[in-house]
Amino acid sequence: MSRQKRSKNAPRTGSLKTVSIPIKGSTLLDVENLTVTFPTVRGPVDVVKDSSFRIDPGKTLGIVGESGSGKSMTSLAIMGLLPEGGEASGRIRFFGHDLLDRSDREMRRVRGDKIAMIFQDPLSSLNPYYTVGVQIAEAYRAHRGGSKAAAKKVAVDAMRRVKIADPEQRVDHYPHQFSGGMRQRIMIAMALCLEPDLVIADEPTTALDVTVQAQILDLMKELQEETGTGMLFITHDLAVVSEVADEVLVMKGGETMEHGTAEEIFSNPQSSYTTALLDAVPRITDVVGDIKGVSHE
Amino acid sequence: MLFYILKRVAAGAIVLFLITVFTYTVFFVLSPDPAYMICGKTCTPDRIADIHEKLGLDKPFWEQIWIFISGLFVGREYGEGVNAVHCTAPCLGYSFQTSQSVFEMIVQRLPVSATLAVGAAVLWLLAGIGGGLIGAVKKGTWWDRGIMVVALSGISLPNYFVALALQYILVVKLKWLPFPTAVPFADDPLQWFQAYIMPWFVLAFMYAAMYTRLVRANVIDTLGQGFIRTARAKGLDPNIVMGKHALRPALTPALTLFGMDFAALLGGALITETVFGLNGVGKLTADSITQNDQPVIMAVTLLAAALVVVANIVVDLLYSVLDPRVRVKAQ
Repeated sequence: MSRQKRSKNAPRTGSLKTVSIPIKGSTLLDVENLTVTFPTVRGPVDVVKDSSFRIDPGKTLGIVGESGSGKSMTSLAIMGLLPEGGEASGRIRFFGHDLLDRSDREMRRVRGDKIAMIFQDPLSSLNPYYTVGVQIAEAYRAHRGGSKAAAKKVAVDAMRRVKIADPEQRVDHYPHQFSGGMRQRIMIAMALCLEPDLVIADEPTTALDVTVQAQILDLMKELQEETGTGMLFITHDLAVVSEVADEVLVMKGGETMEHGTAEEIFSNPQSSYTTALLDAVPRITDVVGDIKGVSHE
Repeated sequence: MLFYILKRVAAGAIVLFLITVFTYTVFFVLSPDPAYMICGKTCTPDRIADIHEKLGLDKPFWEQIWIFISGLFVGREYGEGVNAVHCTAPCLGYSFQTSQSVFEMIVQRLPVSATLAVGAAVLWLLAGIGGGLIGAVKKGTWWDRGIMVVALSGISLPNYFVALALQYILVVKLKWLPFPTAVPFADDPLQWFQAYIMPWFVLAFMYAAMYTRLVRANVIDTLGQGFIRTARAKGLDPNIVMGKHALRPALTPALTLFGMDFAALLGGALITETVFGLNGVGKLTADSITQNDQPVIMAVTLLAAALVVVANIVVDLLYSVLDPRVRVKAQ
């Protein structure tokens, strides 16, 4: 059986190459009515319900929520990396192209190259058996090809950009030979070496202590200004989101509780849940007493 | 690294020394008097004393140990004066049954056990790693279930049953194979192969079952790791994710197990060798136990212990090459 051939000039939504060519008037990322469903013994469960947001180049959207609010599933749905059984519906438009229509093979061209991801725990996110240089370089080679030596040079440059001292030597070290903050810098170097249009950072500072956290946030902001990438920043930490985000989306149990500019959310929260979240943050000026929680009625 | 190796070798030597003292105590001090084994029915107190003197059993315990251990390195004399018999190093004594040098008996039989162990190891590694990988990648499918059922039967069916059933079906009923008679490879390669194929399979069946389950569990565990998610998020080809990022962390722990199993098998497969009539170290062990041939029992025990100790050191060194986290600590 022969499949019908498409004319060469016909616009294809499924073409590999067109993903990087923006459709006119489109934005970097436009998510519309995204719903993520998982089958369970008690029937399908929506872990993300009807979520809509957009991210413009150079801008950062912060998604805030507790564990299980669906924020990580949102990011994995964009990457096409939902765990087994997960189904995403709605629209995820990347420069106007719907990513949910793409085959896994096509998504592989997008992952790493167009959309890169930084994860929470940099130790478990790096393979202990390979040097950091190999792991940065393989991302580059998978998309751009070239010799191992050339890719290693890219890795050294990327490490220098994220301010790792002595990158020529450090490139041959293994993940466990780095501190937590340095490992997260490696992850950032890996994500940025291909100059992606969008970076998804899933709790990138959660596993780090506070001083290192600030350094990593500064570094990410600095690199974002340099490259103009859009960023989806997922965190449960309101203090962190207030530092990086232009817009904030508050999630709870898969539902969007509130969506607005960072200023609106922090100065004039509309949802009672957001207010509760903000009140639950202990402040140094607070009189010592009980820390407020968030009710789940 | 050199210091690390020396440290491991020294620790291994201490373990072997303790095992030697222990086995010597069990077989020559706590066991029935070996002199009765040797002199048979015509025992007189004079004859017993004579044998005691010849074997050195009249000497204090620690001196006996010392003579035994030094015999391993420089040889020893049995008896004194003109009647003395010199046993060249490495001296493990003489069989009470055949008066053959125990060291020679083992050297004669080691190639059979080695052939058995190597052949079986090749089979079980292929089947175990292959089966485990398929099971992990196709988790929950009929492939996976089928493999797990075969693995479960490999673990639960006793070795001797599989061996006898196989012989009955292939040799007696179907007549696909002649009754196995081991010959050296150079004499008749076909007959050699026909003699070994069933015992290889029997041993491999049991071990492959364990390795399949281990590899399957390790691969499933590794595929759930964060670095696999990272590799996918980089847009790597699924074959690279599997072959480069998942396989190495999943298989390295199996190496420890393999080193131990292989060494234990070199020390003789008691049941398999006996059922198939292969004259290896395992059959020698079985025979010497039934005949209470203490020097031989002690020698095969020491051999098995030494193989495991050596395998342990080799595995640890290999591990430090394969796993960078261990490598740095070792240095």
